[in-house]
Amino acid sequence: MKRLKLTGFLMCTVFSTGFANDVNTQLPSGDEIALNVNARDEGLAVARNLKMEMVDRHGKLRVRETRAFRKYFGDEKRTAIFYLKPKNIKDTAFLTYDYADKDKDDDQWLYLPAMRKVRRISASDRGDYFLGTDLSYEDIKLETRVSLQDYTRKTIGEDEVDGFHCYLVEERAIDDNTAEELGHLRRVSCVDDKLWIVRRSKYWDLQNNLLKTTYFKDISMVEGILTAHEIAVDNHKTGHQTRFIFSNVKYNEGVNDRVFTQNAMKRGL
Amino acid sequence: MTTKKLFCICLIVVVHSAAIAVDFESSITATTQWTVNTRNGNSQSLNLSLIPEINASFENGWQVQSSVRLRAEAIDGLQVDDINRSGYSDYSKPALLNDVVELELRELYLQGTIGDNFLMLGKQQVVWGKADGLKVLDIVNPQSFREFILDDFESSRIPLWTLNVERSVADWDFQLLWIPDQTYHALPEQNASYNITSPELVPSAPPGVLVKIEQPKRPNNVFLDSDVGLRATTFWKGWDITFNYLYQYNNLAVLRQNLSTAGGTPVVTITPEYERTHVIGTTFSNAFSDWVVRGELGYFTEHYFIRKNPLQNQGVVKSPELHYVLGLDWNAPWDVLLSAQLIQSWVINDADKTTRGKLDTTFTGLIRRNFLYDTLIAEVLVIANTNNVDGIIRPKISYEWLDNIKTWLGADIFYGHSQGVFGQYKQNSRIVVGMEASF
Repeated sequence: MKRLKLTGFLMCTVFSTGFANDVNTQLPSGDEIALNVNARDEGLAVARNLKMEMVDRHGKLRVRETRAFRKYFGDEKRTAIFYLKPKNIKDTAFLTYDYADKDKDDDQWLYLPAMRKVRRISASDRGDYFLGTDLSYEDIKLETRVSLQDYTRKTIGEDEVDGFHCYLVEERAIDDNTAEELGHLRRVSCVDDKLWIVRRSKYWDLQNNLLKTTYFKDISMVEGILTAHEIAVDNHKTGHQTRFIFSNVKYNEGVNDRVFTQNAMKRGL
Repeated sequence: MTTKKLFCICLIVVVHSAAIAVDFESSITATTQWTVNTRNGNSQSLNLSLIPEINASFENGWQVQSSVRLRAEAIDGLQVDDINRSGYSDYSKPALLNDVVELELRELYLQGTIGDNFLMLGKQQVVWGKADGLKVLDIVNPQSFREFILDDFESSRIPLWTLNVERSVADWDFQLLWIPDQTYHALPEQNASYNITSPELVPSAPPGVLVKIEQPKRPNNVFLDSDVGLRATTFWKGWDITFNYLYQYNNLAVLRQNLSTAGGTPVVTITPEYERTHVIGTTFSNAFSDWVVRGELGYFTEHYFIRKNPLQNQGVVKSPELHYVLGLDWNAPWDVLLSAQLIQSWVINDADKTTRGKLDTTFTGLIRRNFLYDTLIAEVLVIANTNNVDGIIRPKISYEWLDNIKTWLGADIFYGHSQGVFGQYKQNSRIVVGMEASF
């Protein structure tokens, strides 16, 4: 009898632990959702216009027009951004090589036309904000994907963004070091349950205060690939806002390998 | 082909190209700066510069880039006639509009691709090296020392008429330079604010001796006296590496001295003469976690130094020189950038006979922090030479009011022995205020 009670108790413990990560067993797990998001085709290469609008708490607007490229070289992803306007930042260029091996630091370079030199920069501060925006270097790298190794995750419910139903997934940094690198402790993402694309992410800082909210908007098919044409960020701590607006998006064509070189950074487009 | 013909060809291409150009882009940048001497409160400089740029892009991918600089300086000591213009070739010399205003063609070049070759032909700047604040291999273009090293290198570097060809082969990028433009450093005149007096750089005559400075002996054969450069670049196992070679006339003339008498008075006649050197060098950089390591090294086969005894060997010591810099950048907490450099230069032969000494060591330190989404930048740069215990401290704060309007407030504080390269300007320490607008 005692053995039966003990067995029953153990079975209850196992079953309750197995379901501890999800609010409802009918919802996919956080890991499953993340895998679905990353399984979405984003094209081997893309070239697009990228307009950056930054507004501070006083309403001061800064606008940057760039041409952005991304291409996969096997498992390695390379991103290049060339600034076209305004004059004070024209010809500035950013280049990054993102390696699949998580133990290998990404390589990054910045070309500053005033120095006329390509400068190697550290890639370890991936949580730092990218060139005056509210998006971090990590946000720029991942775009609409999610990092699989930096978080533990669980599905915590359902929600709606702009009329679209989505799963709420909470992701917590795997350790303090990672949280410090990323610049946030956790985030809660609303993932469209049909398109498997993040529609909204809320971030909490290292003190667990609400830090920023990112929206992925104007999502439509371009050449058969699901594309978010706008990323909007509200920084709740600073009152600053950033909008990335993508246009003239072209996949898998005309993205020359030479764009992702230091020479291209110096020569411009 | 003479430089004049090269210039005319560029002009013809530009004019002809204008008829078929598909896209023009233009801008103008206006910069004004006021500096005040901290010792006496007098204005040291008050200047305005206008830099219009016009770029034309053609259907076939070729481009023409051009810019001129109109600069006016109100304060004596830094005006257009306070710079010795003998270092300029006829095709790079700025035009003097009057005593205070000069007009300079900064850049005019054609760029495009022929097969696998990328070509830039015309007046341009070519920048080598990884160092900040001081130069080791960034010597392809000469420099104006109107304001010592206080001007941005972008402003003080003198563009040259150059044929610049780049080509990629496998994992290597090769660059070939041919520079027929015989323009060298532009140095301040003797009565200028930043006149050079350090005995490491210029000979000094004892009291009672007259000094006569002759016109420089300049190279004058476009082909035989042109500079040639070659650079090979690669990215290998995370390292950015270059190998550099330059065969050039040293941008600083050798100051040969000859003693004579005139009417019983001793006279030292100084004859500036440009001499050739081979430069063999390398640069490297890599990032490790929060750190970036970078460096460059240059070996100069023939450099000339001021001799302690002016009566020997015309007052010069000829020796190879090894010059290198090692830099470390650290992305510290709270978004602070800390950067340090060690720069050393070795005189290989007869160093004890020079006024400079065998090993010259300089440290630089930079601390910088960006605020308000990179609109506000605060930094302090220190350059310190250990040989003469002299240097300069440069704090600066700059703010972008709008995308096209920036202002700055800073200081340039010289310190140390007046015989030193930096200490010679101790009387020139100053506060700096400036503004830039671009359209």
